[in-house]
Amino acid sequence: MKVGIISFAHSHAYGYADAVKRIPGAELVGIADDNFERGKEAASRFDTKHYGSYEELLSQDIEAVIVTSENSMHHEHVVAAAKAKVHVLCEKPLATKAEDAEEMIKVCKENGVILQTAFPVRFNSSIIRAKHIVDQGDLGEILAIKGTNRGTNPGGWFVDPEKSGGGAVIDHTVHVVDVMRWFMGAEVKEVYAEIGNLISEHEIDDCGILTIEFDNNVFTTLDCSWSRNETYPTWGDVTLEIVGTQGTLSVDAFAQKLDVYDKEGVKWNYWGDDMDFGLVNDFLTSVSEGKEPSITGTDGLKALEVALAAYESSKKKQPVLV
Amino acid sequence: MLNVLVIGAGTMGSTHGDALSKMENVSLVGIVDKNLEKAKELGRKLGAEAFGTYEEAIESKPIDVVSICLPTPIHKPYVEKVADQGFHIICEKPLARNLKDAREMIDYCKAKKVKLFVGHVVRFFPEYVQAKEVIEQGSIGNVAVARTYRGGAFPYGSNDWYADYESSGGLVLDMIIHDFDFLRWCFGEVERVYAKSVEKGNERRIDYSLVTLRFKSGVIAHVEGSWAHQTFTTNFEFAGETGIVEHDSSKSVPVRFAGRNQSQSGGGVAVPESPLKKNPYYLELEHFLSCVESDREPIVTAEDAYKAMEIALAALQSIETKKEVELDAFARIGGVK
Repeated sequence: MKVGIISFAHSHAYGYADAVKRIPGAELVGIADDNFERGKEAASRFDTKHYGSYEELLSQDIEAVIVTSENSMHHEHVVAAAKAKVHVLCEKPLATKAEDAEEMIKVCKENGVILQTAFPVRFNSSIIRAKHIVDQGDLGEILAIKGTNRGTNPGGWFVDPEKSGGGAVIDHTVHVVDVMRWFMGAEVKEVYAEIGNLISEHEIDDCGILTIEFDNNVFTTLDCSWSRNETYPTWGDVTLEIVGTQGTLSVDAFAQKLDVYDKEGVKWNYWGDDMDFGLVNDFLTSVSEGKEPSITGTDGLKALEVALAAYESSKKKQPVLV
Repeated sequence: MLNVLVIGAGTMGSTHGDALSKMENVSLVGIVDKNLEKAKELGRKLGAEAFGTYEEAIESKPIDVVSICLPTPIHKPYVEKVADQGFHIICEKPLARNLKDAREMIDYCKAKKVKLFVGHVVRFFPEYVQAKEVIEQGSIGNVAVARTYRGGAFPYGSNDWYADYESSGGLVLDMIIHDFDFLRWCFGEVERVYAKSVEKGNERRIDYSLVTLRFKSGVIAHVEGSWAHQTFTTNFEFAGETGIVEHDSSKSVPVRFAGRNQSQSGGGVAVPESPLKKNPYYLELEHFLSCVESDREPIVTAEDAYKAMEIALAALQSIETKKEVELDAFARIGGVK
């Protein structure tokens, strides 16, 4: 299986590249990056070829590509890949606009290629275990979920709305919304959000609390803030508190960690399973077996719609229907 | 020496009675409960006389201060009755079930020239007090996002009054009002409230509420309340521009006894304890009584208690209408509920 990566703008590219290298039968054919320095460095690190343009990479003999460019570039890169008949795993958020995401889904379908949205949290072993508990019915009927996906402001293009489409809300809403949809098999009905630019000096939303109601009447909230400061022991988190009629379920997806105290302070070293490996392996398996992807472009669009609704709600200061 | 009477021998009455009985300059003159046996049992434990009615107690004892530890809907008649006698009042939170009653109670006490203290005890929990100090010292910068949690099992009160939401207001008015008060103490007035809660939580005996507050200062707060969990815990997180302060009561447990024999107390179940020389209820009552003696303003006023009720009732309105509630407009009409 010949695989390429378009852009290392998003740091998740490193985890995905590492996963490709570790998957038997997968070959990392090349990395396209118009940032030559970054592209060359990544190519040498993963022992592969650097291409100065994505067109060049797509004209190679490859079957699948991972798109980890700036959010606003996903559309161009995914459409180009689809037209070159190359299957795509696209970093989240799928796009910065719903129209872009819709077109990406359409073009991939027309060209008969897989479009998978990169929601690695679905491959976190603790999340999988929690879904199993929910599916078994041990929780009874779900009444409410409280989620967090707090993180650190990544800086760079993430704080440039032209490239990112927005800050913390578009960056950190989609993972947990996807998990909630996946756990419940339900769709989002209404969104309310309080959003602020209270932490960073950049003009970008860096904190938000969303209230998300689903069509099965379950209400949820999500903290998507970039509120972890530099001395906090971790860069990010995913937690869920699920309240059901027969019990409660607490999930902390990255709780499997060591507490390390060194000269720089305290750090949390995660020792749980590598979810990036699970995601990339799943994608490449779907490609090689010609299966439907386990996470679709539509899943990416549905999660994006919630983030976009959150921005609208915050502007209107009232709940909005999705 | 202050003579203090406690009305209500339930959980809060026991807690207040226990703290008052340990104070040097306080005489716990009696415990009143309409269930006289309950009053007697607590009275025996604390070395105080038991009465079946408030009227019997005031006939036989000198009284300076009365602590009202009764279900919310009967706070008002007792506050007025006690104020009529000219005794100072410590009333459990929430002050009342609706804003009209609360305002009338505050005005009544003013007219009768008695002090009215409301038991917003979280302002006396050392972890909360210290978190507020850390915020004020400025090392974490201005707070952007505040998160609080308070929860445990669905409570059983006398006649199961907590489950009667027309009386208790459910966990939003009865329990997470503590967090509303604390957050308002830290961040000032609230601009907007949006809240969700389990439907028919009282019938299911599972309640869970998630409330978002937007403060006029810009701070965003997420307040979580639960009567759906097994054991009572609280936690909070204040994330600022340059740092974070957080606390989880389930982790700050210095003593944990697990008995081997089922017959021992705690048999089979670990009993967590966080011992302090003076527990927060003791500190709260000690403070209120010192305000009586020195005629000072308390750390938490009856007006603060009223404002905390406004937030809680706005949250209940948001839950019912499924819409955001602008607090100033809500306050102007004195709250719908």
